[in-house]
Amino acid sequence: MNKFLRTLIPADIAKGLSVTGKHFSQVFFTANRRKVPFHIVSEYPEVPAKVQPRFRGRLTLLKDEQGEIKCVCCLACEKICPTQVITIEKGKKEGRKMPFPVRYDFEMERCIFCEFCVESCGFDSIILNHQFELAAYNREDFSLGTEGLGQNMFELSPTGKFSVADD
Amino acid sequence: MPTPTLTQSIVITLIQCLLVVIFVFVVVPLTVFAERKVLGHLQQRLGSTRVASGHVGFSGWMNRTMWKMGRVPVLSYWRGIPGLVGDVLKLILKEDIMPAKADKFVFFLAPSISMVAAIVVFAAISFVPGTFFTFPAWFPYLGGLPVSGGIADINVGLLWILGVATVGVYGIVLAGWSSNSKYPLLGGLRSAAQMVSYEVPLTLSLLAPVVLAASLNFSEMSSRMATGMPAWALVPQVIGFLLYLTCGFAETNRLPFDMPEAENELVAGFHTEYSGMKFGLFYLAEYINMTVVSALASAFFLGGPWLLPFGLQGLLNPYLPGFLSWFGQPHAIFFVAKIVFLLFTYIWVRGTIPRYRYDQIMAVGWKYLIPLALVNLLLAAVIRCFAV
Repeated sequence: MNKFLRTLIPADIAKGLSVTGKHFSQVFFTANRRKVPFHIVSEYPEVPAKVQPRFRGRLTLLKDEQGEIKCVCCLACEKICPTQVITIEKGKKEGRKMPFPVRYDFEMERCIFCEFCVESCGFDSIILNHQFELAAYNREDFSLGTEGLGQNMFELSPTGKFSVADD
Repeated sequence: MPTPTLTQSIVITLIQCLLVVIFVFVVVPLTVFAERKVLGHLQQRLGSTRVASGHVGFSGWMNRTMWKMGRVPVLSYWRGIPGLVGDVLKLILKEDIMPAKADKFVFFLAPSISMVAAIVVFAAISFVPGTFFTFPAWFPYLGGLPVSGGIADINVGLLWILGVATVGVYGIVLAGWSSNSKYPLLGGLRSAAQMVSYEVPLTLSLLAPVVLAASLNFSEMSSRMATGMPAWALVPQVIGFLLYLTCGFAETNRLPFDMPEAENELVAGFHTEYSGMKFGLFYLAEYINMTVVSALASAFFLGGPWLLPFGLQGLLNPYLPGFLSWFGQPHAIFFVAKIVFLLFTYIWVRGTIPRYRYDQIMAVGWKYLIPLALVNLLLAAVIRCFAV
């Protein structure tokens, strides 16, 4: 009798329909809205994809309020890096007590984005930013340093490189 | 109002036919498109968002240039709508292959039968009771003449619709048989069994409105069901609607009842051997059948061209304030909106419920739907006796 009633009243079907309907409306009302804080899926190139706060993107050197590089060349990040992509050269600068990185090289092509360098840093001078569009056409574009115009360690990489299959 | 001569009425009928064909050929491709998008949304993906045009030719050059500029190319843009054109072009232009040992004539006949049986039903469907619109006086030859809401609003409309819609099963069975191959044959046989069993509860669930409205005329039935019912008639209408919708899914071979083309059991079922525009006709017929079933459900249960479903319009109309009287009148737009909503429901159910086993389908049809439809019919008859 119970089974008969359950077959008669389509409650299970209604439950299933409500689940899929909820998914439908979630995707339908958020996918192409730029200002929604969190997307389940987004129409990606037109609507910029948002990442979670703890997303690990590209390594970035930070500067303090005076525009000075925060890094003091303790070499903790260089030592802990599992793939040894960071190379730091210690130096001196006028009017600065702490050591100053003359060179801070970062080979992004071998980086595994494990965030050990950020965790080991005692001076909060590096972070992994939220950038994920890191593809490039040339191998040299993956060597980042303190100098250079586009691809340096302080600014975001040039974005919007959508993948096309030709040249 | 001038009475039309014979030639004038023939011209008017032809115009109506043209309008209906335009309606069908607008709704069907949009449903095919909506199926991709809605199914995707139900499964938390976006469905088709753009058409990747090739890297050759002028359009390819334009696309590449726009990608390089960091823009989404316009040609392949706007949420996959261009894919609709691609779909139609593919169906028309594809090579038409006929199996060597197929029965040539029947193989050719089957898709046309299903297509004709699907589209002819629209003759008896009236979109709005009375006149749909009147030609303005300056119109050549037809000035001042009214165009009614249906092509042929005949007295036995429902009988005609059910009769012709049943012919569609011939298309599927003949397609399965004439392909001279195992899977299509099995698909055709399954479809015959399924359609014959579900024809019974479908007709029985439609008999409740017939009993309540005491008519077989399409527009009369829909207007009486929407406006002339007592409050008690709500119960058989709701039950009948659910029954009818279930049987409608089975009749149009849609998931969860798509036995004739169960992809993981029979390659593609009855249309395995079909390609090109012959397959396209089956495809079209399926979607036109969906539209027909939605039209019947919305006319007899959801209030047809009136706004409110299940006869609530008739209960509300006496209390409707004057400035809202537009909502108390029948409008074709309400009818079309209900059809579109039911088509959405088709896709919604497809994205939710998995396919039944074959014996489960038969059990549901014979053990539950037919007794329930009979009880519903009895209920409708009692209400007809005492309340109307």
